[in-house]
Amino acid sequence: MIQVPLSVGLVAVSALAVAMFPRSVLVFLLFQGSLLFVYRARIPERLRWSLLAAALLVLMPVIGYFNSYYLEVATQVGIFVALALGLNIVVGLAGLLDLGYVAFFAVGAYSWAIFGSPHANIILGGGFPLAGWWFYVFLLVGLAVAATTGILLGLPVLRLHGDYLAIVTLGFGEVIRVLANNLDKPINFTNGPKGITPISRPPTPFGLPYGEYFYFLALLIVVAIVIVNRRLEDSHIGRAWEAIREDELAARAMGVPLVRMKLMAFACGASFAGVMGVLFSAKQVFINPESFTFLESIGVLAMVILGGMGSIPGAVVGATVVTVLNLQVLKGFSLWLNELKNAGVTVLGYSLADLPTQFEPAKYERMVFGVILVLMMIFRPQGIFPARRRQRELGG
Amino acid sequence: MDVEFLIGIFPQVLLDGIILGFMYALIALGYTMVYGVLEFINFAHSEIFIVGAFVGVEVMLGLKSVGLLEGLPWPVVLILVLLAGMAGSGLLAVTIERVAYRPLRNAPRLIPLISAIGISFFLQDMIRLFESLWRNAFNLVYPTLDVLNLRFELTETLDVSVKSLVVIVGALLMLWALHLIVNRTKVGTAIRAVAEDQAAASLMGIDVNRIISLTFLIGGAMGGAAGVLFGVQYGLINPYSGFIPGLKAFTAAVLGGIGNIPGAMVGGLVLGLLEAFAASYLSLLTGGAFGAEYKDILAFSLLILILIFRPKGLLGEVVRERA
Amino acid sequence: MALFEARRVTKRFGGLTALHGVDFALEQGIASIIGPNGAGKTTLFNIFTGLYAADDGSVTFRGQPLLGLRPDQITALGICRTFQNIRLFSNMTAIENVLVGMNSRIALGLWDVLSHSRRFRRTESDLAARAIALLDRVGLQANANAVARNLPYGDRRRLELARALAAEPALLLLDEPTAGMTQGEAGTLMRLLRGLVADLRLAIILIEHNMRVVMEVSDRVTVLDHGEKIAEGSPREVQENVRVIEAYLGTRGAGPRRARRA
Repeated sequence: MIQVPLSVGLVAVSALAVAMFPRSVLVFLLFQGSLLFVYRARIPERLRWSLLAAALLVLMPVIGYFNSYYLEVATQVGIFVALALGLNIVVGLAGLLDLGYVAFFAVGAYSWAIFGSPHANIILGGGFPLAGWWFYVFLLVGLAVAATTGILLGLPVLRLHGDYLAIVTLGFGEVIRVLANNLDKPINFTNGPKGITPISRPPTPFGLPYGEYFYFLALLIVVAIVIVNRRLEDSHIGRAWEAIREDELAARAMGVPLVRMKLMAFACGASFAGVMGVLFSAKQVFINPESFTFLESIGVLAMVILGGMGSIPGAVVGATVVTVLNLQVLKGFSLWLNELKNAGVTVLGYSLADLPTQFEPAKYERMVFGVILVLMMIFRPQGIFPARRRQRELGG
Repeated sequence: MDVEFLIGIFPQVLLDGIILGFMYALIALGYTMVYGVLEFINFAHSEIFIVGAFVGVEVMLGLKSVGLLEGLPWPVVLILVLLAGMAGSGLLAVTIERVAYRPLRNAPRLIPLISAIGISFFLQDMIRLFESLWRNAFNLVYPTLDVLNLRFELTETLDVSVKSLVVIVGALLMLWALHLIVNRTKVGTAIRAVAEDQAAASLMGIDVNRIISLTFLIGGAMGGAAGVLFGVQYGLINPYSGFIPGLKAFTAAVLGGIGNIPGAMVGGLVLGLLEAFAASYLSLLTGGAFGAEYKDILAFSLLILILIFRPKGLLGEVVRERA
Repeated sequence: MALFEARRVTKRFGGLTALHGVDFALEQGIASIIGPNGAGKTTLFNIFTGLYAADDGSVTFRGQPLLGLRPDQITALGICRTFQNIRLFSNMTAIENVLVGMNSRIALGLWDVLSHSRRFRRTESDLAARAIALLDRVGLQANANAVARNLPYGDRRRLELARALAAEPALLLLDEPTAGMTQGEAGTLMRLLRGLVADLRLAIILIEHNMRVVMEVSDRVTVLDHGEKIAEGSPREVQENVRVIEAYLGTRGAGPRRARRA
């Protein structure tokens, strides 16, 4: 029972520490770690969820007040958690390795970007941007457009398996990226590499500042997605997906309609990315094709793999860890290194100031993803928090 | 639209297509050989390819710094650089196989593929890291050898540079060497046996692991050679330049029939020619609406279409459905 | 209208003709298909269930032509099967396996699932109850939550049967259901099948190598050899048929020896 005061204490202390040392990356990581501890600790359910709710709904925004960058990190984590949960359905549940997942995110983002900014005037003549409150409508529009794209992608690839499916989805993702980059003529749909800006933001309730607003909205959407995920998993649809992943032939023979189920997996997974895409474009106010590359697709895959394919808590943890690694740890390491350089520190006789200027740790996201993927595949393919069934399949 | 102009540039486009095609063919060989023996797509091959280019450029820069670049006869320099690139890539390929693929050989198919993707990403940044620390730059330029830039005029509209000739000759030599190895040596026969039926081959006394390593070595070396030729031809390389050519070369391998060595060569040439034609003619034919930047989409769309409608490719056998 | 009728079914694989114009019909009860290895029995099943396309002939079920339909469509019509090599969903539990089998009988949509509508909750509890009942029927109720991979061999065969029954078929195709079982286990299974035929008005087609089982439980036996039907009739008639005896290389008078599984 020591876990009860321990969990409460950890959360409280780390939150306080963050308030006292707003610039310390380590302290913020400690706070996030305390949330993970609360999630896994053996404490009464009521306490667990109250603590998490308090941390996410109260403490985090307060921390954000002291350090808006942390709020930004938290919002980014929320966005990627949603993406990871979406990819989780396609890869983790249905077993379809989609390497071009970011295309759905892009489609959602561009749908609001085009109509929520003056850009649509170029295509349609006038009357744009749409008023800010249309954003809420477009959350659903983005969902629908992405789901449709998912179905369109799914239809031709249905008969493919494993490697070939992966490569085709990769090709598809690249096609979307090249299109985004080049569809500025003959009709200017996407404005090419210049991107689209300024993108309207919705009016916020209670006059919340935008930082807090997008944080809460992302949180809300994530909660909705988690609920949808759970419901899908514990239904005939989830079971059908598992069966397809286990043995497609037998599933078919038992009456599972393969085409419909696979398309549903693609559509559901894609729709999450679509919704978040709309939020992303409103939050960023500016988007361009650079945000939607193969790197992002693999990043989301790394999150799902790290956390555990087919596992909801796994996707949440995976997304958090990877996003934090990239946004905070790598960047923090870069900053720290610069500080050491400026202070003229030497390591083993070698002055850090002599380090080549081109060496910026913050840019090594690919290495992070690569190492995660390889190590996980070799040592723990079922992920940190495996779904029950994957544990049996890969580890147990 | 000037038809005469279109016809006029044809020979140049053809030449460009052939050069591009040979390069794709060399890279495609790596994919196809590995797929032949393991039924596995070596996603990291695009980085194995570009490492060859980097080894080549480092050797050249090294020679330059000791004054040997101009000192040695240029064929010697080129052969040296080519061999260095091939050795570097080949060894890298073998190492990757041992470290990241062999432990996963019996795992469900997606696992080694994901591992390969991880290696690919890791290598990209590894090259960046190395070059950032070693040269404080990772966008590197191949030192020029003046002789390479000489041009011969073949016809009115067509002239070919020594550089292009070098690339073509180099590629042909590599392809010929590979053909000899695969078809005329004991090792080559062993490779073909393992590709055909691993179990039977091992029952015949073939050390399957050794052959697999050798396959990676040869395939990697081909990729490395392609990397050097790529660097010589295009001059500028960075750690991320391998990704797109790698994907296209994979398309070529599938086009020709994955696992089929002559198929890789055919597929490479076909893709190279198609791309060259698209790059030159697409913009002219569509009145500027869709230009050369869409040539990448051509390769990707082709890949998607082949995999869906004719996965066995032009020369390949039926793709066996994994039970 | 006949329940199940196959006429002149022909299947070629490249140069090899696996099935030459085979006729087969069933109204009710249990019919067995026997024959030496390679006779084409599983190929026939695969054609009946839509896994293979026939090159010639026709197959109808309750008057509805089956050739050209997808396996899941055929299952929805009322035919279900088990496999020679047991194809369970190894990492799912026994009850989950059975629940998947019910997929074609579930009338829920995406919206029901997402909203946890009353219809959803009612259907899910119905399904769970029926699944337990099916497991009970085959004797696996104690192992409902065991992972399929961990079940002993005999239990896995029975689970596959339960899963096939989950689709509420009118016709069940069982491919070597007693393979690997002891005589005692095989006997129990056969009594179970007889019970199913009586209680559920099921028709069953068996592919079998265990002659004792075949003779005990079948209403009718069909013998295939090299893709052709060489005999058909009651178990006794077939047992005494000279051609059948020759096909199995049994000695005259002793009946076909139980064919060995490789």
